[in-house]
Amino acid sequence: MSPQLVSQLSVGGSTLVLLAGLVMLWRRSVTAHIGAFTAQSVALAATTAMVGWFTGDWQLWAVAALLLLLKAVGIPILLKRMVRRFGTERELEPYVNTATSLLVGGLLVLLAYLVTSPLVSVSQLPTRTRMPLAMGLVFVSLFVIISRKKALTQVVGFLMLENAIALLAVLGTHGIPIIVEIGVFLDVALGFIVMQVFVYQIHETFESIDVEQLNRLRE
Amino acid sequence: MSAPFLTLLLPPLLAAAGALVLPPRWRVASVLHAGLGLASLLAALRLVALVLDGWTPTWGPTVLFRVDALSALLAACVAFVAALAALLGPHLGRGERYTPPQVRRFRVFASLFAFTMLVAVTANNVGVMWIAIEATTIASAVIVPLTVSKASVEASWKYILIGSVGIALAFVGTVLGYFDFVTLVGQREHALNWTVLLANAPVLHPPVIQLAFVFILIGYGTKAGLAPMHTWLPDAHSEAPSALSAMMSGVLLAVALYAIVRWRAVVTAAVGPQFPNRLLIGLGLLSLAIAALSLVIQRQYKRLLAYSSIEHTGLLCLGLALGPLGVFASMLHLVNHTLAKSMMFFVSGRILDRYGSPEIGRVSGLLRVMPWTGGLFAAGMIALLGLPPFGMFLSKFMLVRAGFADGQGWLMAAVLALLAVAFVSLLSHLNRMLYGAAPAGIRRGEDRGWAMVPLVACVAMLLVLGFAVPAPMTELLDRIVEIAGR
Repeated sequence: MSPQLVSQLSVGGSTLVLLAGLVMLWRRSVTAHIGAFTAQSVALAATTAMVGWFTGDWQLWAVAALLLLLKAVGIPILLKRMVRRFGTERELEPYVNTATSLLVGGLLVLLAYLVTSPLVSVSQLPTRTRMPLAMGLVFVSLFVIISRKKALTQVVGFLMLENAIALLAVLGTHGIPIIVEIGVFLDVALGFIVMQVFVYQIHETFESIDVEQLNRLRE
Repeated sequence: MSAPFLTLLLPPLLAAAGALVLPPRWRVASVLHAGLGLASLLAALRLVALVLDGWTPTWGPTVLFRVDALSALLAACVAFVAALAALLGPHLGRGERYTPPQVRRFRVFASLFAFTMLVAVTANNVGVMWIAIEATTIASAVIVPLTVSKASVEASWKYILIGSVGIALAFVGTVLGYFDFVTLVGQREHALNWTVLLANAPVLHPPVIQLAFVFILIGYGTKAGLAPMHTWLPDAHSEAPSALSAMMSGVLLAVALYAIVRWRAVVTAAVGPQFPNRLLIGLGLLSLAIAALSLVIQRQYKRLLAYSSIEHTGLLCLGLALGPLGVFASMLHLVNHTLAKSMMFFVSGRILDRYGSPEIGRVSGLLRVMPWTGGLFAAGMIALLGLPPFGMFLSKFMLVRAGFADGQGWLMAAVLALLAVAFVSLLSHLNRMLYGAAPAGIRRGEDRGWAMVPLVACVAMLLVLGFAVPAPMTELLDRIVEIAGR
């Protein structure tokens, strides 16, 4: 695979990953969030596999397979089960309205270009110029987490943040050492399970998963 | 050299397995649990002895684990508090508070929590360290709501969400650091090892490593309780079972700070001390200010202790930025804080058990109701205030002196003013709790008197550290100063 082709394909992959993140800024329903996350994970796995093909690194193929299994199949199944349990509680009024959200999202991606300019200038890899997209997704995910009121959408935002970092790692370094990669997968899976338990607990004790009610602890 | 590592890391895993299998009511279960905690502590002390003898134990493929003076000190602190928690927790009073399944859950996850912290401070690979610190969040968050209530569910949600997001940002920083390394040197299996990173630091690109450090400081700073990312801390520390609060406040904050110290050494080697120090001073001072002002308005004693932890984390950060003397003072302060704060959370668990209320206003006449507990609480508070004859007096004094020696006169003036605010508010809260008429109908005397022995030992150690720093400790701290950089 030639560097030009890798460069073009990685543009496609990274753009899809970021777009899936931006979808969450205007779609309100939890189901749409889950769909966008699943699509994003597939795009991420495809990008990872593509870089693995280019570099001839079998470890990246393994990572791509794990990504598909965990984030495109396993976690979405659990998320959908939660949605069935809680009904499709809609993200009725996020703290920030849709138009402003999209504007903020655009500004955050611009900010990412500014922040990552030193990275792009020092690297030689054909995939380097996509790093701003990954950093943009980091910022957009943070924004999603702080601007949502439902515990479930916050969890999806967090999962998206993990995807953003995985994308950053594969584009910038063509994969971190496999032992670290496996540890990260383990942490993501366990962390997600614990978060899921907590969402059920919130639902049981507060009879809703609206985190606005979580305001008892203050001075 | 696998023996020192196995004896350190295996006992907590065995303790978790044992707690899972054995019925929690059995006496043998408690004894085994406490014994394994002690075994891990002995192994940590042995590591300290090895390091003082000039060894740097390493273990595992690609030197996965490595213990130098800094790791040894942290491992000893973690193992000490974990052993206390295994011995005393989760019941700090009469023991009617938790059901057997809850006791089991506490023992399993507190042991795993201790294990992850020990891995974090002995790992030589920054990636493995990150994985371990992320896992500390998961293991500890599970037992924050040991008894489910609206408050504890809220606290645990804030903790896991803010903690996980923070630690994810630290991973962005780690990836950026790795990115910088592979861009320059190419893919290497050892590239994420401290030793390799540090050796190659002088050639790293300044703008990239600076960006990485900003992410790392925000990320691990979230777990260390640095303002403005501290918002989860008072909630989690006050709602968690007190034995867990002791572990979180006493050592988890120190473990997160440890990660910052390691990365700061790399950044200092790459771009000089000025850049990281400015950031550390900024965040440290902000934490100190927010904590000091929040202490004034607290109404619950466990929240009071939590804000005091933010205050001390701020001080530790400031110390790191004040040259070699400051690093020395900061690390000494870390040991003092571990002893004093973990002891205070165990004691406050006893108070909570007896008075049944977390409110400062509901606790009065403590010295008459529980003379030993009250005495320990007073001693611990005086130690935290930084008064002689306790160790924190010495370390705070050294820290401020290091600041003046470093030419940071104005900064130190601000620090002293904020410390004075914290001092006055803590003292007035303490006064309210110790004296006055005891609530009607409250039972007097101490439960589980033997539990006072290790807590009194903590105070004794603080006293020793208040008169002079023992020679081995000085040597260990001197070596840490060499590692942690200028």
